[in-house]
Amino acid sequence: MIAIETKQLKKSYGSVPIVKGIDLIVEKGEIFGFLGRNGAGKSTFINILTDIIQPSFGTYSLLGVEGPNDQVKKRVGVMPDYSTLYGSLTAMEHLKYLSALSGKPAGKEWCLEVLKLVGLESHARKKVAKFSFGMKKKLGIALAIIHDPELLFLDEPTSGLDAESAIHIHKLIRGLQKRGKTIFMTSHNLAEVEKLCTRIAIMKEGQIVKSGTMDELRDFYRSTIKVKIKHSPVPKSEQLNLHQWLESAGTDLEMNDPYVTITVNDEKRIAEIIRAFQQCRADVLRVEVEEPSLEDIFLDE
Amino acid sequence: MYVIGKREFISLFKGIKSCIVIAILLITSYYSAKFADFLISGIELSAKEAENIHTFGLLGLLLFLGQLFIAGLSHDTINQETHERTMRFLVTRTSRTSILLGKFFGIWMFWFSCLTVSFLLTSIFAQKIDFFIFSQTISLVTIQISFTILLSVLIPKPGFTMFLGIVFGLAFPILGFWVVFTSNVWVSWMKFFTPFYYLERDDFTFIVIFILSGVILFFANFIFKRREC
Repeated sequence: MIAIETKQLKKSYGSVPIVKGIDLIVEKGEIFGFLGRNGAGKSTFINILTDIIQPSFGTYSLLGVEGPNDQVKKRVGVMPDYSTLYGSLTAMEHLKYLSALSGKPAGKEWCLEVLKLVGLESHARKKVAKFSFGMKKKLGIALAIIHDPELLFLDEPTSGLDAESAIHIHKLIRGLQKRGKTIFMTSHNLAEVEKLCTRIAIMKEGQIVKSGTMDELRDFYRSTIKVKIKHSPVPKSEQLNLHQWLESAGTDLEMNDPYVTITVNDEKRIAEIIRAFQQCRADVLRVEVEEPSLEDIFLDE
Repeated sequence: MYVIGKREFISLFKGIKSCIVIAILLITSYYSAKFADFLISGIELSAKEAENIHTFGLLGLLLFLGQLFIAGLSHDTINQETHERTMRFLVTRTSRTSILLGKFFGIWMFWFSCLTVSFLLTSIFAQKIDFFIFSQTISLVTIQISFTILLSVLIPKPGFTMFLGIVFGLAFPILGFWVVFTSNVWVSWMKFFTPFYYLERDDFTFIVIFILSGVILFFANFIFKRREC
């Protein structure tokens, strides 16, 4: 089942294109991570899908219904990127007001339950004007889930939160996924996306330049595998041969006894390197293969 | 729509500005009704006007200052939420038409309640409630509320709508009455677009004011649907 589908979605301001024709499919039950530098168009893309702004071109559907659709809104939870809250209302009043607006008025007990989920249960009757940035973020998440939506849009859910709160929110997001919810999130925290998301898309200058599961992205980038080898001393007579062979086998060669670091473009090369050491009468004591991290992939893009 | 309307209605009773406006309405109603006999003796009035003298003060107040009062209280009903981005929470949960109509009915209910109390107050002195004038008064505030909402949709900055609310609030009655009573053919056609022309007549043509309000709201909704929040 498809939760989100966009076809050639575009947004321009005057002659400046911000989102340049995005085709995307997010399946139900996924945690989809949307990455990109500041100004890449991530928030604009989310804002189109959540009816905050209108697209210049293209179509989209949420939960199988073409958008914008007011009935589907009741099945979708949104946490916008800004702390857009009413300073004069308490956390509890926020939850009651916005859940009623979604057509599912929340009772006091459910409101307290949701506040507990985000760690704000002791601030239920506090005016939001007195909330810290992190508390507003947490309340933003509570507001997004108060009406038990099927699809959640979270724009940088943990930015500005302390480590403990961020871990708490990660657990909450995973818990929501286990309950069958689909989560579409943006983040600047690459480790967070790598840890949480089932699929990832990288956006650059209004376009998706890469998308897939973490393994798919890694496979794509396995052309550059960094290998670190610990070896026994190489006989002097073989050192030049080994050096010449290693230079031809890969790039970024660094030889600091007893370690050799080399970047190769094929996994099969690793076995060849081990054999080369053996032929030069040196034992390979340890091999460390550095998988490309999301950071490597992101920076490369 | 109901949820937004209820919140708007309740929040209007909370501010100090609202308390002042309610006080002005009630004081005007009370004293114009109390001194109605004194007014009849002091100024020349037609039989019909003399009959309705108890509500004269209230209707006069709203004809000349109604737009100013309504703009003063509700000039930022839409653009404040857009400016502070709380509108984002609303548009992601319900339709823009529901938001706009909710705001409209919240403000309308506030004025309906205030005017009902004011008319009940005057009825103590007049010993009757004139439903015709009450309906005319409601039609007047309806178009004034619609116009205020249109301004709030058209102009994104709340500070500027406050300024424009004052300018229009003062200029509209003057210009409105001028186009109604002028013999200048170049401007007199405009009278059909002002509520004053329909209120000046003693028949049910004031119903046209409700239609004009609907047109203004339709236009405001058309723009609001295309606005970014």
